[in-house]
Amino acid sequence: MPRLRSLALNLVTWTLVLLIAFPLVWMIITSVKPQTELFRIPPTWVPETITFEHYWRLLTETPFLIYFKNSVVLATTTTVFVVALGTLGAYSLVRFSYRGRETLALLVLFTYLLPSVVLIIPLYLMMVAIGLSNTLVSLILAHTTFALPYALWLLRSFMEGVPEDLESAALVDGASRMGAFRDIILPQLLPGIISTAVFTFILSWNEYLYALVLVNSDSVAPLTTGVMSMLISAFNIEWSLLMAASVMMSLPLIVVFAFLQSYLTSGFGAGGVKG
Amino acid sequence: MTAIQTNPPQLERRYARLGLLLIAPTLIVFTLVIVYPLLAAIYLSFFSIYTPTLEGGFVGVQNYVTLLTGKAFWNSLGVTLIWTVGTLTLQMVFGIGMALLLHQNIWFRSLARSLVLFPYFLSTVVAVLVWRWLFNDLYGAMNHGLIQLGILDMPLDWLGSMPNAMIGVILVGAWKFFPFVVIAVLARLQTIPEHLYEAAKIDGAGPIARFWDVTLPQLRNVLVVIVLLRAIWDFKEFDLLYLLTGGGPVTSTQTLSLLVYQEAFGLNQMGQAAAYSVGMMLVMLVFMVVYIRRTGKES
Repeated sequence: MPRLRSLALNLVTWTLVLLIAFPLVWMIITSVKPQTELFRIPPTWVPETITFEHYWRLLTETPFLIYFKNSVVLATTTTVFVVALGTLGAYSLVRFSYRGRETLALLVLFTYLLPSVVLIIPLYLMMVAIGLSNTLVSLILAHTTFALPYALWLLRSFMEGVPEDLESAALVDGASRMGAFRDIILPQLLPGIISTAVFTFILSWNEYLYALVLVNSDSVAPLTTGVMSMLISAFNIEWSLLMAASVMMSLPLIVVFAFLQSYLTSGFGAGGVKG
Repeated sequence: MTAIQTNPPQLERRYARLGLLLIAPTLIVFTLVIVYPLLAAIYLSFFSIYTPTLEGGFVGVQNYVTLLTGKAFWNSLGVTLIWTVGTLTLQMVFGIGMALLLHQNIWFRSLARSLVLFPYFLSTVVAVLVWRWLFNDLYGAMNHGLIQLGILDMPLDWLGSMPNAMIGVILVGAWKFFPFVVIAVLARLQTIPEHLYEAAKIDGAGPIARFWDVTLPQLRNVLVVIVLLRAIWDFKEFDLLYLLTGGGPVTSTQTLSLLVYQEAFGLNQMGQAAAYSVGMMLVMLVFMVVYIRRTGKES
């Protein structure tokens, strides 16, 4: 009996898991089907021929690589900027006492929940006024609006998990606060910093609304708006090309899942869902 | 949360100064890109501004009168509520169910977990492209799959007509965001002490009774937090709805976020859009205050 129960459990769970994963499998299958096979009714569930022509066309005939480069620059810069500010800020919020500290922590949480559409209009006007509209810099600044509260909140939780006694001991031994920060806190906070960086990078990589409003030329467009514009501008929608673009766009994510998944799950515990 | 406090007052003051110095860069960026735009949005909502030329003038509370007496805001608020309640309910039901299954000892458990988590981290653009291809009325796998399984007789127009469009976005939203519930619940499940289940077993409780009497009460706190967070995030969601249906057909899936965008960059009425966004924020403030007070209490 318990054997049968376990078998049933496995079957139910794996059926559901495969159903959830199906759209992703379908994305990969579509991206390697030749154009002629794509428009067959009913669709072939397993491709009869496999081709990589769509990937080749994507890289050679479309501005995909420019979008990709823009996204890498955008997400990396945002992440470095936000994690650097956030680590110092979190250290200050957790390990120092001064007036207004609690209010600040609440302000961070408030901005973490704020809808982007409220900020988008003034930010657009601001970027136009200072002549930054249609540049990657404007997008980096705009991404700070959601990435910085997020990173601060995450790093604050991780910082609270670093034990205090080691820092105190170093201070008694005559280390300065910043010396103790560098030698004691940073090494212990490192997993938290990596986790925050991974999260921030994905957030920035996936962001769409700010890119839609602030940037409108191919040379500075990131992947999100760039790939969508391929859908809209095409005369007849080339689904296999778009699916190839989708797979390529998800590459960083696949890398993260393959090598850094534990950092993703540990970030969740810290991200305010402690219950 | 406790600072090091066994120091003489002089050192204490120096530390406080250092603390402020460390938070200063964050504060400056915060003020520039969040606080100032937030106040500017409220200020702009009292003006009438034409987007392409950025010209216009002060109109007092006119935009708010339009908000209260016109149909657009209330229609979008209704749509937002249907979308939020619909997708959130599915996310919770599937999320809790999947977490309970993945908590069991199944084959290749970590692979199953990875596959379930993946949609959450996927770019909304990718998710939407894949689903629009699945929903395609002529060649889409969704229609043909359901016909081959005998569930449908005829292909459905998934995103172009109502109520299918609303059901479609709610389904895709549930698929994209339920992993959040899975991860959060799974993490909590792993911390429930085993002896509680053993005690319940000795008392003669079956699997279903154990779920209601042990698991659910233990999950209660984390579930409240998840519902609040997801409600806030679903309420303000823009990308998924904008890219799947663009708010259509007509305005039947136009949530408040889409209304603000449409008013500012489609109809070119920035002042009115700012007023809508302030109205939207006021509605959200209720959830936000509950969540913030809850989190504040815990820490």
